[in-house]
Amino acid sequence: MFSRIAYALRETWESFRRNLTLTAAAVLTSAVSLLLVGSTFLIQRAFENLLVQWRGDVEMIVFVRSDASAEQIALVDQVLRASPTIIDVDKLRYLNKTESYEEAKRIFAGDPVTLGLLTPETIPTQFKVVPLSDDPTLVRSLSDQYRTLPGVEAVALAEDEFEVISTLSNFIRVVTLITSLVLLLVAVGLIWNTIRTAMFARRREIEVMKLVGATNWFIRIPFMLEGLLQGLIGGVVSCGGLWVLNSAWTSGVTSFKPGTGISSLVVPDSYLTSVMFILLAIGAVVGAVGSAIAATRFLDV
Amino acid sequence: MIRLENVTKIYGTETVAVRDASFDIPKSQFVFLVGPSGSGKSTLLRLINRQEQPERGDVWVAGRNINEMPASRVPHLRRSMGNVFQDYKLLLNKTVFENVAFALEVIGKPRHVISRQVPIVLDLVGLADKQDRFPNQLSGGEQQRVSIARAFVNRPLILLADEPTGNLDPTTSEGIMGLLDEINQTGTTVVMATHDHRVVNAMRRRVIQLDRGVIVRDQERGVYE
Repeated sequence: MFSRIAYALRETWESFRRNLTLTAAAVLTSAVSLLLVGSTFLIQRAFENLLVQWRGDVEMIVFVRSDASAEQIALVDQVLRASPTIIDVDKLRYLNKTESYEEAKRIFAGDPVTLGLLTPETIPTQFKVVPLSDDPTLVRSLSDQYRTLPGVEAVALAEDEFEVISTLSNFIRVVTLITSLVLLLVAVGLIWNTIRTAMFARRREIEVMKLVGATNWFIRIPFMLEGLLQGLIGGVVSCGGLWVLNSAWTSGVTSFKPGTGISSLVVPDSYLTSVMFILLAIGAVVGAVGSAIAATRFLDV
Repeated sequence: MIRLENVTKIYGTETVAVRDASFDIPKSQFVFLVGPSGSGKSTLLRLINRQEQPERGDVWVAGRNINEMPASRVPHLRRSMGNVFQDYKLLLNKTVFENVAFALEVIGKPRHVISRQVPIVLDLVGLADKQDRFPNQLSGGEQQRVSIARAFVNRPLILLADEPTGNLDPTTSEGIMGLLDEINQTGTTVVMATHDHRVVNAMRRRVIQLDRGVIVRDQERGVYE
């Protein structure tokens, strides 16, 4: 038994060395595709953070034109307070021009062009509304009502922001998922081709092995191990890449001011670790599948 | 030991390689399969080690119908046979010792068995002093001896030889035939396909003659004609 294992490992290593260029191509392709798979996981998780963070605190913002009169502002305030069953009146907050401008300075910290267009004189003031009800349709119907009030410039619903984000995250999910699936298939194909080449290079050995009565599994296993190893190494490389990317992102994100939402696009380390394990597993499966197809298909050399 | 019953092998749809062949080879016999190229000699050998399966008829080896044998048993069948070829089929990147050891290694024999068996068989074929050479450093006759050593190292019941002297000069061929005869003396059944008149006539063993896939002569102590 021991001699068989030693044989399989020795043959695997030999073949690995002999086909270095093809092996490198197969490993790199699986690494890149797995990196993309891993990124998909992280991006999804990061967007979820964002959505979760906002969902607990659904907000409506009523923007009031900068040239609105004090009476118009008072009217808006009055109307908002007229629905105490829907709106949490205690949490209703009015931000005047100075306060709104201060907030805008934070929001657009990374965007000086937009900030330059705003001045403390021209900026809309705003009512921050925390609804009591969880029913988004109720809040929405209220917002339609507020929009028609004199002096109101716009009403923004957090729900709409969510939609943008979830549409964006869905789009990213679909694109990255399709791309990574295609790349994974390419990786399977490349590993298949590498193993096929390795088997072709050793067709004489295989012929002799079959004639002296080696079992098909005995012949196959070194090749399958080789494919498995290629997939696994691809997985390890992708894990390294993912870690580097995530570290760069996590430290880069701190330079964004809070309130833009970007800073919440980070994932906990425990999640990164489980994604890495998933990548290793997928890598192993990709390698095993590619080489298994090759080893079964080309054993009759 | 080997019995064919009305065996017909067809390649493709109409190329009949062997037609209705029947014979019985008892244990320890030495048999020549003779006939011109394309007469079906090699196909008969390939039917016996189940590299081919017949369209009709049965092939029996050591009391078993090998055509009804599941594919998973074929490796074990092959372990009871040695194969020798005209082109030796040696692995050029392995030494003489490694080539012979390879045959034991890939059927999972432990290291201590390999290191005991290989020198014995290399001594038998007269290459004990050349075990660290590579095939390219050997003459044709020596390479064929390595290939015979590889075929015999597992002490098979049957040795199948396909034109083993085809690439060798008469003197060297004589040596190879002496070796095969010696192996036959140990009780191994030897089936040798050849169109080499001299070796057949010199040995005077059973001769099965083929012509376009049909057995036209089966004679004890025969000559080539």
